[in-house]
Amino acid sequence: MSNGTHTPRRGALAKSESRQALGFVSPALAGLALFTFVPVALSIVMGFFDWPTVGEKTFVGFDNYVKLFTDSPDFWPALRNTFVFALLYVPISVVMSYLLALSLHSRIRGRGALRVLFFIPVVTPMVANVLVWKMLLQPQGLVNGLSQTWFGIELPNFLADPQWAMMMVVMMSVWQGLGYNMLIFSAALEQLPESVVEAARIDGATGLRMTWKITVPLTSPSIFFASIMTMISAMQVFVQPQMLTGGGPGNATQPIVQFIYNQGFKFQELGLAAAAAWILFAIIIAMTAAQFGAQKKWVHYEH
Amino acid sequence: MKKMHIAAALTASAALVLTGCSAGGTDAGSAGGDKIVVDMWAGSQDDTAALEAQVAIAQKANPDLKIELRTAPWGDFFTKLTTNMASGNMACVTGMNSGMLSSYTAGFAQLTDEDLATAGIVTDEFADGALEILSNKGDVYGVPFDMATMLTYYNADMLAETGAPVPADGWTFDDFEATAKAATTDQHAGFGIGMGGFQWQALPIAKAGVQPVKQDGTLDLTNPAFVDAATWYGELVTEQKVALPVSSASDTGWGENQYSSGMAAMAVDGTWNAVGYLDNDPGFTAGMAPLPAGANGSLGLVLGSGFGIAQDCDNKEAALKVLGSLLSVESQDYIASSGRSYPARVSSQPLYFESLPAEFRDQVEAAFESAFSNVQGQYVTDNWSKIDTFVQPQLVSVYNGQESMENVLKTAQSQFGK
Repeated sequence: MSNGTHTPRRGALAKSESRQALGFVSPALAGLALFTFVPVALSIVMGFFDWPTVGEKTFVGFDNYVKLFTDSPDFWPALRNTFVFALLYVPISVVMSYLLALSLHSRIRGRGALRVLFFIPVVTPMVANVLVWKMLLQPQGLVNGLSQTWFGIELPNFLADPQWAMMMVVMMSVWQGLGYNMLIFSAALEQLPESVVEAARIDGATGLRMTWKITVPLTSPSIFFASIMTMISAMQVFVQPQMLTGGGPGNATQPIVQFIYNQGFKFQELGLAAAAAWILFAIIIAMTAAQFGAQKKWVHYEH
Repeated sequence: MKKMHIAAALTASAALVLTGCSAGGTDAGSAGGDKIVVDMWAGSQDDTAALEAQVAIAQKANPDLKIELRTAPWGDFFTKLTTNMASGNMACVTGMNSGMLSSYTAGFAQLTDEDLATAGIVTDEFADGALEILSNKGDVYGVPFDMATMLTYYNADMLAETGAPVPADGWTFDDFEATAKAATTDQHAGFGIGMGGFQWQALPIAKAGVQPVKQDGTLDLTNPAFVDAATWYGELVTEQKVALPVSSASDTGWGENQYSSGMAAMAVDGTWNAVGYLDNDPGFTAGMAPLPAGANGSLGLVLGSGFGIAQDCDNKEAALKVLGSLLSVESQDYIASSGRSYPARVSSQPLYFESLPAEFRDQVEAAFESAFSNVQGQYVTDNWSKIDTFVQPQLVSVYNGQESMENVLKTAQSQFGK
């Protein structure tokens, strides 16, 4: 059919060109197939098998999924912990980094240095971050020490108390991730269309009204991007609780990814781990789709 | 012509990808040929250097084979081993620890008397019970290069400063409490409470005289004697207040770190750390004694690490020979005389004590002798690592008084004892 619309000569050229192109992209394609498609497909298959590390693999249908939902004592708490973390972390992180970007947007002295300072936790290895936070938060640490010498008040054992431990994981994560979102918002704020801002000024918009009616809507694509990415990373949270609280006390801060890790690499139940990973994937996809659906109502794109 | 080019390009790129991949595969070592890969954990450059020296000994004994050493830190080693087992890439000669074996038996070949003969291993030359270390339910999966048990370590300076009685061979749990109480001040605790499986269970097992698992591998966490002893252990923090509560479930080496950093006067840890504690960084005078004795004596576990052969190893005979030379007299003498660990081979054991500074030698020898005189192989269930993973973060709640030890053990028993 396409041959009818093109001259044969062009068709031959295009064909040979696309063949050559295929030759050039084939290393990348092979890599993609080997390291992305195969593992993804394999993990779907694994989810339907009782798949020990070594030995007989048996097909069990939906048993792994049923087991997770009805029989696994840690699955629901892990899911709950992940949601609690995301619900606390995403709004706090987005709002605080936006406020930070706004306050560093005005031409204050040393804002470049301040931006670097706020960005440092993002590039510092998490191990170092966690070490510092642990030293602050443990009962013999700085926070409790200061509180006792200044006010004579004994603070709770933050990382060992079920409620406080989650708060501290969220707090550390917010501190750690602040700089990244701030950078996104800063870039958006730098690119506000002068004409719109000027027109608003002439119309008498200032202060809060200016921010709420002009700046926020104009930067809404960035806010959308940041909140989606932050939400996804929050659902996949692992390192912070793993290293700061070890998922404890009990399973009070164990997120779903740590649950998956334990099932797969500590207990060698790869089938169960794969099934849990696909449940997480489904949740993330559904939440991202919902956010994309809702964006029509509040995200304004400049055309 | 062009088609030829494309085909060549495709083949070349495919070959590139495939060789990249299969290079990883051959590295993993169970491939045939004369190469034998030895996979072992090593946490530091010292560890790696010591392993290299042992591999060099094995290489000299087997000039026709090419022996390659692969290492990973302790924690990563077992994660990597899981993946290697799953992908059929387990190294022919792989390191294993008594506490971890039950989760990995599927990857290791059972060693018969014939296998041991091929390796040149004469079991009588090893210490009593040494072959139990890497056995599971009566089957031998590996031969240990070292053996270990748990000891009480103390900070002699702290005890002298507070006038606390010094732990000695034959001491009881009453003596232990007296020392811990006397050594507790505002500046430091009398005892560093344990988080690791071996560390926290050592005193309850010694006090109760029973293990939390029966010999046949059934879980027995709710054995009344063990529950009582474990409850007593938790109350060292909550009731007797001779130990500080753990600050986070990720502090898996809490008690030992408290001790080695001079925050606690005593801690329980394995014989493998004896040398490390003797020349500790803060520079205090360290001492050691066996675990205290309860009404039922002072039961300890014999632990250790060694090497086993991968089940899917293509060249089992060569692998056995390498295993044999890694445990030869020369290699064991090397481990012992470098003071790295207490060898499983009887003739090499005295060299370990000789490697220690003269002022510690008698004390260490006495403590080891007494501690190893009352040991039992560790009984584990097939899902032991799950139980350990479950209990550890719960201990934080126990030590902080939010949960009772009895409840934790009951929950674990009902969850994993089926």
